[in-house]
Amino acid sequence: MRFRPLTFSLFFMPLSLSAVESGNDYFEKRVRPLLAERCYECHSAEKKIKGGLNLDSRDGWAKGGDTGPAVLPGEPDKSLLLEAVRYANRDLQMPPKQALSPQELAVLEEWVRMGAPDPRTEAPAAKKQTGLSVEKGREFWSYAPLRLPALPEVRDTSWPRTAIDRFLLAKMEQSGTAPAPDAAPEALARRLHLNLTGLPPSPGQLDAFLKDAAGDRAGAIARLTDSLLESRRFGEAWGRHWLDVARFAESSGGGRTLLFKDSWRYRDYVIDTVNADVPFDRFIREQIAGDLLVAETPADRRRNVTATAFLALGATNYEEQDKQQLRFDIIDEQLETLGRAFLGQTIGCARCHDHKFDPIPQRDYYALAGVLASTRTLENYTDNVARWISAPLPSEGAREAEILHREQQIALVRKELDAAKAELAEASKSVTAASTKPGKSVEPSQLVGIVIDDSEAKVVGEWKHSTHVRSFIGKGYLTDDNTAKGEKTITFTPAIPKTARYEVRLAYTHAAGRANNVRVNILHADGEDTVFVDQTEPPPIDGRFASLGKFRFEQDGAGYVMVSNEGSNGFVTVDALQLLEEGTQPAPRAEAAALPGQEARKKVRELEASLKKLNQEGPFRDMAMAVRDEDKIGDTQLRIRGVERQKGESVPRGFLQVALASRQEPLPADTSGRRELADWIASAANPLTARVQVNRVWGWLFGTGIVRTVDNFGTTGEVPSHPELLDYLAIRFQEEGWSLKKLVREIVLSRAWQTEVRASPAADPENRLFSHTNRRRLNAEQIRDAILSVSGKLDLKEGGPNIGGAGEIDANTTAAQNVEYSYVYTDVRRSVYTPAFRNKRLELFEVFDFGNINQSISQRNTSTVAPQALYLLNHPFVVENAAAAAERSLNAPLEDEARLANAYIEVLGRRPSLKEAQIARRFLDESRSTPAEAWAQLYQMLFACMDFRYMD
Amino acid sequence: MPAPLLPNLSRRRALQTLACGFGQLALAGLAAPRNAHAAGPLSPHLPKIAPRAKRIIFLFMAGGVSHVDSYDYKPKLQQEDGRMLDFADLRSLAKTGKSPQQRVMRPLWNFAQHGESGLWASDLFPNIAQHADKLCLVRSMHTEGIAHGPATLFLHTGTTTFVRPSMGAWISYGLGSENENLPGFVTISPSLGNGGPRNYGNAFLPPVYQGTAIGRAGIAAKDATIGNLHSPRTPAEARRQFDFLQELNAEQLRQKPGDSELEAVIHSYELAWRMQGAAPGVLGIEDESPETLAMYGIGEKATDNFGRQCLLARRLCESGVRFVQVNYGDNTNNPAWDQHSNLKKHGDHAQAVDRPVAGLLADLAQRGLLEDTIVWWGGEFGRTPYAEKNGTGRDHNPAGFSIWLAGGGFKPGFTYGETDEWGHHAVVNKVHMHDLHATLLHALGLEHEALTYRYAGRDFRLTDVHGRVVHDLFV
Repeated sequence: MRFRPLTFSLFFMPLSLSAVESGNDYFEKRVRPLLAERCYECHSAEKKIKGGLNLDSRDGWAKGGDTGPAVLPGEPDKSLLLEAVRYANRDLQMPPKQALSPQELAVLEEWVRMGAPDPRTEAPAAKKQTGLSVEKGREFWSYAPLRLPALPEVRDTSWPRTAIDRFLLAKMEQSGTAPAPDAAPEALARRLHLNLTGLPPSPGQLDAFLKDAAGDRAGAIARLTDSLLESRRFGEAWGRHWLDVARFAESSGGGRTLLFKDSWRYRDYVIDTVNADVPFDRFIREQIAGDLLVAETPADRRRNVTATAFLALGATNYEEQDKQQLRFDIIDEQLETLGRAFLGQTIGCARCHDHKFDPIPQRDYYALAGVLASTRTLENYTDNVARWISAPLPSEGAREAEILHREQQIALVRKELDAAKAELAEASKSVTAASTKPGKSVEPSQLVGIVIDDSEAKVVGEWKHSTHVRSFIGKGYLTDDNTAKGEKTITFTPAIPKTARYEVRLAYTHAAGRANNVRVNILHADGEDTVFVDQTEPPPIDGRFASLGKFRFEQDGAGYVMVSNEGSNGFVTVDALQLLEEGTQPAPRAEAAALPGQEARKKVRELEASLKKLNQEGPFRDMAMAVRDEDKIGDTQLRIRGVERQKGESVPRGFLQVALASRQEPLPADTSGRRELADWIASAANPLTARVQVNRVWGWLFGTGIVRTVDNFGTTGEVPSHPELLDYLAIRFQEEGWSLKKLVREIVLSRAWQTEVRASPAADPENRLFSHTNRRRLNAEQIRDAILSVSGKLDLKEGGPNIGGAGEIDANTTAAQNVEYSYVYTDVRRSVYTPAFRNKRLELFEVFDFGNINQSISQRNTSTVAPQALYLLNHPFVVENAAAAAERSLNAPLEDEARLANAYIEVLGRRPSLKEAQIARRFLDESRSTPAEAWAQLYQMLFACMDFRYMD
Repeated sequence: MPAPLLPNLSRRRALQTLACGFGQLALAGLAAPRNAHAAGPLSPHLPKIAPRAKRIIFLFMAGGVSHVDSYDYKPKLQQEDGRMLDFADLRSLAKTGKSPQQRVMRPLWNFAQHGESGLWASDLFPNIAQHADKLCLVRSMHTEGIAHGPATLFLHTGTTTFVRPSMGAWISYGLGSENENLPGFVTISPSLGNGGPRNYGNAFLPPVYQGTAIGRAGIAAKDATIGNLHSPRTPAEARRQFDFLQELNAEQLRQKPGDSELEAVIHSYELAWRMQGAAPGVLGIEDESPETLAMYGIGEKATDNFGRQCLLARRLCESGVRFVQVNYGDNTNNPAWDQHSNLKKHGDHAQAVDRPVAGLLADLAQRGLLEDTIVWWGGEFGRTPYAEKNGTGRDHNPAGFSIWLAGGGFKPGFTYGETDEWGHHAVVNKVHMHDLHATLLHALGLEHEALTYRYAGRDFRLTDVHGRVVHDLFV
């Protein structure tokens, strides 16, 4: 029950005592001990100062905490301190563990009423400042402007092939480390193929490369690199990298998981972007503000709108009930993702307070939050389970013409329907007029089925009885009088004689000023549904009823129909409820037949039918997950301690001060500022963006970044091992048009990238000098795609939706969740197209560290765990593909020795060593199974052996 | 079991390199994550608190059991049944900032005092009531999240929104497992819904600490097992194939000496092989006596499924697993206990869990396991003392609800905390979910403020910046 202000405190003693005690005496005897015992724990300089509030000095409460002065002397009802201890505000209840006793409360009330005498005039201890100031921050390496370094001198001029090599070798020479020898061509071919396309080389590809490299190694490597960069497979492998960063998923995961049924378009957009080598700065602009960019062609517009899914793909908890809280949670997730993805910053740390370590004041967080608060990510803020925005996409040519034609037809039919309905309404008026005479109303008993009159329903709130519109059932009807929205309900609880499906009909009366969105909840045997009734329309059935749909009710089971005036935009009326068992038709009644307006009603029905047909038939317009600008643009207020409801001062929209090259210009008043935000991030003057991206690409190619904390360029991250090289690469990247392909090419053609794998020297155990190549594990997708390509089952079909049944479904429904929960992974397309559900994942992905797709990551964990071993030993996927690979091999006319060599080349990209061949031959010889089975076992163990799992 | 292929590989070396997915000796600091910089210099340094218990069995009642119908006796609800009164309904307030009047609804089950302790409980759980003197009942719980998703995630991970490790993962991280062939954290029949895998996920902790699911909601407990435990080949063939593999691996390792990660691969295979041998024995219940099966209600339609889950929990505990979660729920958005209408249905669910839970308590006690095992029974929130939408059920109530703990050094036959006179808001000796987390960690010898992990530049912990240990609950 809502806590009542404890008025009985007046009966306690303080009044009489205050008369004889001086203010200070009263404080010392009664208030100070109370504060010390119940409050100092969290609100004193000596212990903690929670919420910024100090209660151990007069200044403390006078100045107050984050929410303002705690005590207004003489004003108990205006003092926050008393509001808190009265436990009347659910967001402010102190002490949190246990409320004060009525006596204690009375003491504080009296004290405030007395004018809050307090002799404690000593100053409270000053708050300590944490974190780095913005000015100091600009001196930190990652926030300092990019500087093009001179190429360093090296002693061994024969080794370096590229500028990258010079930077690396210079450092190696300083520490007396020599670069490792060049890798063997077989290893290099497998490394290049896997790194650039995610697939191992086929025996044919490997053979061709080895022949080419025998004559001209460097040329062969360059040619292979170029052909792999041009392969469509490159976009799939490198698009996948970005999809990790964008925490791409096809369901929401958080809480009630919802199907992101259109997010595959974003996946395809990313792959296409990589394949087309769209400049990275444009890629940034499209993802943050694509909807605000000028598009030259419909195709551009599609890309731009689709790209903004980047902001909507978070693991959002759409059922959060406090929708403003949800809004801010989404903004927080967007900022965290933006920060990590483009800037390598942990912006989320500044939601509740100034960043503890980095030069990001809380104000910067809310400056950015203002941009996103001016951006719409949710369809509305009223749905019980919220939904994201589905934006229409333009098509091209004939298809667009067809879609437009259909849309125009729909608009036309709608218009006709409106007209027909208006006509019907006119006619209905005459119905009303015809039944104006008393006695023209109908008694419930005259109707078929189960009929409950409003007089028998449970009524909550003040409903007005009315007979104003005369065509009612029973003695009249009820209206909410268009007041106290959200506080009135009428609940019908029908007694169900028999378990069956029933058509549920609500009777209401129609007149001007009715609501068109009357919420009706139906609790039936299969769950709960919500239906909205448009009472601006005359009741379509017999001028009395609107059908709410058909539902199953169980005999004697619980079930109800509840009409609410919550959120309704006009008068809500309720007359009666009728339940008709499915299959039984209400007997035609004389009065129904006699109703005028039959013509109009017929026309309405026909039009509704053709509208329904049009709505069901295509061609449908493509929809994309997207964001758009909010209806209301503006700055947002700082939230004290990050609590949505505790609003502080308004902060002008803007960006991170520490990474601003020039003064922050005010953002436009008529758009969110996303465009400007994107421009700031994608600017060559931003010290973070290019550094973060080139470092990430380096990390994807080398296994570790130049800055190893690839997502954290703040003060808690690591510093670069080669700062000059990082800046060189960042500036090159910008100068070469932010081209990913050129950057990858430059890195893989360096001699350093082509060194062999070897153990790290003692002087550099973590290979910070990049003197050799790190042995790296194949990731989950590479393992799966390699197995499928060896078995010959890999389907290289590109793009498009890949979740059967998802297209037609309402993504906000239980049915959509069941698509995820009951999904059986059977397809054999490349892993990048495997449905990326957040709650039900492909087992292989789960086992092999696919990564947590709930948040942005650019470097996955790598673990070596027993479930991986169990998977490779026993999972049907491995067993069956090994069998298919064996079958394929046995169909080829080969001697056993050549067959064995071929198996090794297929799976491991190399021939077997003598010893390996020996072990394998013995295994095959000792087999008592069929050759097919023996070879299947052999292939499976090649998939299971460590060399398959690692890249040399 | 084949002889170890690498006899010269020291045990210490193995510990350092082998992050065996099943929590083997995952003692903090030993199971160095592969991503060395992710652990950083601040890997947990744990103060020495004497542990009161070694393990936890968490009986998760998904959907939210009505506390006012089970453990929180409020005569006022009986007296005022049917009255329309002002309540601060959290859902209405969150959505609209206002709260309409609500109809008081009396409990559908009768309350009585039980045991020598005189602990109040209704006859919703008659068998558990017989163990009243073992229970440490907390009636002043409160938590975050009004809907299932947020509240369930909060219960498991300490946050309604963010992606954070689950409690079991934190405990594995802090304590590891007592059995090198089994996981440290197991969840039996978890739901795909309301956060799904996030409720037993490791988030940013190394993958070694994630929960291992045995079966999932919707699969009968008798069919629930750990994935990929059974070879499709005959035992002899499987063995021959495995020996071939390890021979291959040894040869490949010989070509690349000194790579500890590759050694870890070989060890992961050895562990997997041992697990194939050991785990089915733990997961099977064939060797249990008919009396034991009967205690758990196994073999009877209503109780068979949850009975098997509870028995499996005991077996896993005996085998050294640290955190076993037993889920009573399903994959829907309105899980099992979620009686928004037809509250009577609580009776069906109670029937399904009552005997198995009572059987588990009795069985743990008779085996002496209850002394160092904490049994935690509860849901993500409670239910309102008034009827939802004036119907026949109750809505969610995160502001006040009850859970109980048994064993593991918690005061037996003890009742702690109070809600207001309606059972709506916790008011006396309030225990927030963060506090419960802190208290449970403390009971295991872990200081919640010290059990931290450095990620993305800051130290994270289960209780964020909150939580206090409720010492009053300890013996």
